[in-house]
Amino acid sequence: MTATLHSSPPDRSTLAHDLEGSGGTADRTFKGLSYAAGLVVLLVLGLIAYTMMSRSTQALGHMGVKFFTSRVWNPPAKDYGILSYIWGTVYTAFVALLLSVPISLGIALFITQVAPVWLRHVMTYVIDLLAVVPSVVFGLWGILVLAEHIKGLYGWLSRTFHGVPVLGSLFGSNPQGRSFFTAGIILAVMITPIVVSLSRSVIETTPAFEKEAALALGATRWEMIRGAVLPHSKGGLVGAVMLGLGRAMGETIAVALVIGSATGAITFNLLASGNSMPAVITAEWGEADSLKKSALIAMAMTLFVMTIVVNVAATAIVNRSMKKTRGGQ
Amino acid sequence: MSTLLASDLAVKRSWRSAKSHLMVSLMFLSFLVILVPLVFVIGTVVMKGAGIVFRDFPSWFTKSIPIQKRTRGPGMGPAVIGTLLITALASALAIPLGILGAVYLHEYGGQSRLARAVRFLSMVMTGVPSIVMGLFVYVVFTLRFGLSGLGGALALACLMLPVVIRSTEEMLRLVPEHLREASYALGTRKGRTITTVVLPAALPGVVSGCLLAVARAAGETAPLLFTIGVVTKTHWNVLSGPNTTLSYQIFQNASQVLPGPQERGWGAAFTLVGITFVFTVLARLVTAAYQKRR
Amino acid sequence: MNTRNRRVVLAGLVSLTVFAAACGSDSKTATTAAPTTTSASSSGESTTTAANTTTPVTDAVKLSATLNASGSTFVQAFLEQEIASFTAANSGVTINYGGGGSGKGRQDLADTIVDFAGTDGTIKDADLSKYKGGDVLYFPVVVAPITVSYNVSGLDKLQLSPATIAKIFQRQIKTWNDPAIATDNPGVTLPSTAITVVHRSDSSGTTGNFTKFLENSVGKANGGIWTLGTDSTVQWSADTQAGQGNGGVAQIIKSTDGAIGYVDLSDAKDAALKFASVQNKAGKFVDPTLDAASAAAAGAKVADNLTFSAVWADGDGSYPITAQTWIIVYAKQTDAAKADATKAFLKFLLTDGQQHAGDVNYAPLPADLATKAIAQLDKIVKA
Repeated sequence: MTATLHSSPPDRSTLAHDLEGSGGTADRTFKGLSYAAGLVVLLVLGLIAYTMMSRSTQALGHMGVKFFTSRVWNPPAKDYGILSYIWGTVYTAFVALLLSVPISLGIALFITQVAPVWLRHVMTYVIDLLAVVPSVVFGLWGILVLAEHIKGLYGWLSRTFHGVPVLGSLFGSNPQGRSFFTAGIILAVMITPIVVSLSRSVIETTPAFEKEAALALGATRWEMIRGAVLPHSKGGLVGAVMLGLGRAMGETIAVALVIGSATGAITFNLLASGNSMPAVITAEWGEADSLKKSALIAMAMTLFVMTIVVNVAATAIVNRSMKKTRGGQ
Repeated sequence: MSTLLASDLAVKRSWRSAKSHLMVSLMFLSFLVILVPLVFVIGTVVMKGAGIVFRDFPSWFTKSIPIQKRTRGPGMGPAVIGTLLITALASALAIPLGILGAVYLHEYGGQSRLARAVRFLSMVMTGVPSIVMGLFVYVVFTLRFGLSGLGGALALACLMLPVVIRSTEEMLRLVPEHLREASYALGTRKGRTITTVVLPAALPGVVSGCLLAVARAAGETAPLLFTIGVVTKTHWNVLSGPNTTLSYQIFQNASQVLPGPQERGWGAAFTLVGITFVFTVLARLVTAAYQKRR
Repeated sequence: MNTRNRRVVLAGLVSLTVFAAACGSDSKTATTAAPTTTSASSSGESTTTAANTTTPVTDAVKLSATLNASGSTFVQAFLEQEIASFTAANSGVTINYGGGGSGKGRQDLADTIVDFAGTDGTIKDADLSKYKGGDVLYFPVVVAPITVSYNVSGLDKLQLSPATIAKIFQRQIKTWNDPAIATDNPGVTLPSTAITVVHRSDSSGTTGNFTKFLENSVGKANGGIWTLGTDSTVQWSADTQAGQGNGGVAQIIKSTDGAIGYVDLSDAKDAALKFASVQNKAGKFVDPTLDAASAAAAGAKVADNLTFSAVWADGDGSYPITAQTWIIVYAKQTDAAKADATKAFLKFLLTDGQQHAGDVNYAPLPADLATKAIAQLDKIVKA
C-alpha cells in the first residue's frame, strides 16, 4: 500500500500506462526483469544460430554444394555428403504423417463433434498420457519389441508384393525389423498427440451457428462435419499437420534406435534400413574430429533450418485461418 | 446439442444416416487404433519393468549401477537422483525466466514490435530439435567447462523455456481484464498488480503448464548425450562432474544383447515413465482443482 | 568369495607400491608415505575384507580421485571387471569408463574431457598435434580375438578364408550356399538363406582391426579382393545393417537368421553366438581362442612406444584377427591425486588384471611386454 492514489480518476485506457510511469523502484525492477526475460529468448536463439553457422563453415567450405547433393558419407576419406540422411529424415517423417494424420483427424473430430463430455475427458487424458511417454521409452520398445515382432509381417509383405509394380518396390526385403517403416510407425505414435491437440483447437473455432444451420437443414452429423466443420478448418488443419511434420523430423532418440543405421540408403523401399540426420549426429558425434564435428553441426543446422521453415509456415497457416475464423464471428 | 443430434439420427433410417454412422464409427475406431501402441508400450514397460524394480525393491533405488554392465541385478539410484537433480535445475532456470518472459509478452509488450518478435521466436524455439539444443550446449558450454549435470540442465532449460512462455502467456490471456482494472482502481502499481492479482489468478494454469514441461524434460535424452557423461555412483554435485539420468541409461541399455542390461533398461523405463506420469497427474489435479474453484 | 578377497588385497598392495614408488622421487609427499609400515587400520573397505584373510595389509596411503574415461567397447568388459575390483580395494577412487568406441576415446582425450582413454588403434601422426595435453603414452593391456560371428539355423560349424570374408562383407556373396563358402567348408550342407551383413554404426577400433586383417590378407597388395581399405569406419554398402557397439552388433546377429558380423570374443561368448574358424597366414583354419590370440601377440613386433599389431600374424596357431587394446594417457598430468590414481590403476591392470583377463575372455599380454609397460609407468609425472 505504498502506492499513492491518483487525485483525479484517470481514463481507463491510459490508466495502466500512467501507473507504469509513476515511479517505484520495485515496480521498475520487475518491469526490467520481465523485459530481460523476454530478451533471453532472442539471445539464446541468436546464439544458437550464430554457433551453428560459425561452426559449420569448415565443413561447408570443405565440401561445397556436394555436402547437400552427395550421398557418400565416408569420414576417413573426409567425404561428407548428407543427401541420404536428408532423405531418411524426410521419408520417415512423411511415412509418420501418412499413418498419423487420418487417425489424428478422426480422434480430433470425435472428441470435438461427437463424444459426450465424460468421454471427451477420458480421451483427452489418454492422448495426454501418450504425449508424455518419453521418446527413449518408445525407442526401447521399438528396438526390443516392435522391431523383433514385425519381422514376420515384413517378410510376408515383401513375399506377397514381390514383382508387383510400385508395391513391390515399396516393400522390398529386409531380414530385420529396423527400417524406415518401423521408424515411421514409432514417429506416427509420437506425433499423434500433437496433431490431435492442434486439430482440436482449430476445429473448435468453427462457429456454432454454422453447425446448427447445417443440422437445421437436415444434415446428418457427418454431413455437418463435411459441410461446415472441415471447410471451415481446412487451412488450420494443414498447419496442424505441418507442425506434426516438424516434430517428426527433429525426433532423435527413438528413430536412432529403430531406423537401422545404414549409410547411403536412398530408396523408396519402406522396409530398408536407413538413417536420419538426428540419428547420425547421435551415433557419430562422440568420436568426431574437428572437421567431422563441423560436418555434423552443418547437418544439425540443415535440420534446424528445415524444421524452422516447416514450423513457421505451419504457424502462419494456423494463425491466418484462426484469424479468419474469428473475423467471421 | 449432442442430445439433439442423437435423437435426430435415431429417427432417420436413410443411407445418409448410415453413412454418418459409419464415419463416426471410423472416428472412434481411430481412437482405438492409437490405444493399441499406447497399451502395448505401457503394458510392456510395466510387465518387464515393474518386476525388475520391485524384485529388488529398496536396492533398485539405493544401489549404484553395476560397474560390470553384463551382470544382472539392481541399481539405478544414481540415475534416479541424476534425473531429479538435472530436471530440477533445468526447471529452476527455465520456469522463472519463462513466466517473466510471458509477463513481458502479455502485460508489457502486447503487440509492440519487440514483443511480436519475441513471441515469434519463442514459437521458432519450440521447434528446435532437441539434438540441436544438445550440440549447441556442447559447443558453448561443455567444451569450456567439461561434462556436468549443469550442461544437461542448460540444454533442457532451453527446451523448456519456450514451452513455459507459451503456456503461461495463454493463461495470462484468460485472466479477466476487470481484475487488473479493479487493482489499478485501488491505486496499485502495475508490477504489484501482476504479482499479487494477475499471477495468482493464473497460477493453477501456469503450474499445470509448467508441470507438463517438467514431465517432458525429465524424459529427454538427446540433449544429455553429449553434455552430462556417465557415472555409476550417485553424483550429488549437479554443477560439476559427470552425471547420469534414467533416459541415458535406457538408451545405453537398449542396444545391449544380454539379459542383465536389458532388464535394467526396462526397469529404468518403468521408473522414468512413473516419474513423468506423476508430474502429468499432478498437472491434471491442479487443473481440476482450478476448474472446481471457478 | 575367497579369490575375490585375495584380489582386493592384492589391489590394495599394488596401489600402495606404486604410490610408494611415486613418493620416492617426491619429497613433499614423502612424509605421508612414512606410515606405510604400520599394519592394517580399521577403516576402509579393503581392510574389512582383508581381515578375513591372513595376509597382512597396509592401507595407510589412501588414493582419492575420480577418473573419467571413455573409449574402446572392445575392452569394456575387461576394464569394467578390473575397475570393480580396483575401486573395491581403493574406496577413495571412482573410475567412470563411458565406452563409446575407440574413436570417441581418442577424441575425448584430445579434448582433455577424460583422464584416460581405451583404444584399439593408434593415433594417426597427423592427429598428434591435436592432443591438447601434450605427449601421449600407450599402455597395452590385453589382446583378444575378434570373432566372425554368425547366426544360421542348422549351421554349427563354419570355416572362412579371408577372401570369402572379404566378398561377404562387400556383398559380392549374398547367400549362405555360395560356392566360395562351400569351398571353405567341404562336406558341409549349406542352407540357401540370404546373408545379412552386420557392422558397427559408430567408428570403432574393432572395425579398424577387422578391416586391417582384410587389407593385410587380401587387400590392394594381395590380390585386391578387399577394396574398402582399412579405417575405424569404412564405406559399407547401403544394404548392410549396423549396430551401436559390439553389443549392438551382437544383438542384430542374434535376432536375425542369416546374419554375419564381427564381434569381440567376450561379447560373442556372453551372447552365445556361433563363430567361424578363420584361415590364418599359414593357411590353417584357427578358432578364435585366447591361446590363439596369445600366439598371435607373441609374434608381433613391438615398437619403442609399445605400439604393435597382432593382426594377420605369423605362426600356425595364430588367430588372424587378433586385436590389442591400449590405455592412452598424457605423460604430463595436471592433478597429482589423479596422476597417482591413474598410475595405480594401470599397474593393477598390468599385474593383477593380466591374471584375471581370461575370466572375461581376454588374453594376457606376453610377459615381456607387460614388464615394459610397467617400466613405462614412471613416465607419468605431475607437470
